[in-house]
Amino acid sequence: MLKMIGHYIKESWLLVVSAFVFGLLIAVTNAAWQPKIIQNKITKLDSLMNVLIADAKFELILSDVPVETGRGKIAKSNIYKATASDGNCVGFCFGAEGSGFADKIELVVAVDAEFKTIMGYSVLSSNETPGFGDRITQDYFRNQFIGAPAAILNLTKKGDDKKIDDEIVAISGATVSSTAVVDIFNNYLKQIREKLAGEGKLADGK
Amino acid sequence: MENKAPTVSNVFTAGLWRENPILRLLLGMCPTLAVTTAVKPALTMGLSVIFVLLCSNIVVSLMRKLLKPHLRILMFTLAIATFVTIADLFLKAFQPEMSAVLGPYVPLIIVNCIIICRAEACASKNGLFVSVIDAIGMGIGFTVVLCILGGIRELLATGMIFDIPVMWKGFMPLSAMRMPVGAFITLGLILGLVNMLTAKKS
Repeated sequence: MLKMIGHYIKESWLLVVSAFVFGLLIAVTNAAWQPKIIQNKITKLDSLMNVLIADAKFELILSDVPVETGRGKIAKSNIYKATASDGNCVGFCFGAEGSGFADKIELVVAVDAEFKTIMGYSVLSSNETPGFGDRITQDYFRNQFIGAPAAILNLTKKGDDKKIDDEIVAISGATVSSTAVVDIFNNYLKQIREKLAGEGKLADGK
Repeated sequence: MENKAPTVSNVFTAGLWRENPILRLLLGMCPTLAVTTAVKPALTMGLSVIFVLLCSNIVVSLMRKLLKPHLRILMFTLAIATFVTIADLFLKAFQPEMSAVLGPYVPLIIVNCIIICRAEACASKNGLFVSVIDAIGMGIGFTVVLCILGGIRELLATGMIFDIPVMWKGFMPLSAMRMPVGAFITLGLILGLVNMLTAKKS
């Protein structure tokens, strides 16, 4: 028995020692750089939200809100409250995601304080086809959402993309990506509104 | 070559041309095809691979006399995974944009055959000095080819290099070059060209 243990130790001591040393190395590196990595994420989110709602301060009011993204999948979303310099609530921002053409699409969506009007969206990450689906990041598609009602949105193939209403004109050649964005809106707007209303954080701007 | 006493220049130039990981050995095809949409991600990937290759070759070379045959691959993977994690954390902390562009391809360096190939073929049989030179040679060979591919694709897909427009007015960008098909065609043509050149020489 002792002989066998001795044999195992002889064979594997290098692996065990290395695992400890390398593990320690990763732990030290992680401890040193993790604050910077977290800060980078916050900075990126802040700058994206600032594009949607200018001159506002953002405060995390609800974190890890479960949202159903269709087909029984649950995603977690953080909701931020935007406050203007005079202390009034000017809107809400939240993370939203759904399946795109190639990969998950992650958006940051902004709505006004009454949850009546969409203030726009930014793409946090997407992997849509270059030249087609990746045009969901461009202004010509995104601008259709700014000022649109925060209700059910419909996607059409033909229509006036300059007219701001609940009709969103799809990107030609990228119907799947366009549908994905509209679906994300339809999924999240309803559920986030219910959540905010349930928590009593809506409408009166408090 | 490694069995005879290798000279420094011999080891170094092997990675650059004679045994270039991409052009001659066809190793590491996954990052070669995936991250060469532009020069900048290609360069970042290349530098990350140089870092990992260098560190893993040093570690493997230092412990080569202690390695047991049946645990050797496990040890290589352990060392490689550690340095890849460090490289990934570094990019996330100091190059967040590049980290987002490269996505999963940085962690995937762990399974890049170039690194395990060099650990097995060179570092586990040679001294520290030769292993370091080998890592630098192979790493630079990999990075240069990645940048050439990235350069060609970025130029044809967007008309820009390093986000600076260089093509003439009225240039029609070929967005296919940014997609996987562009990677396969460009790599195929380069490999054909290299084969033609070496065939002529011999």
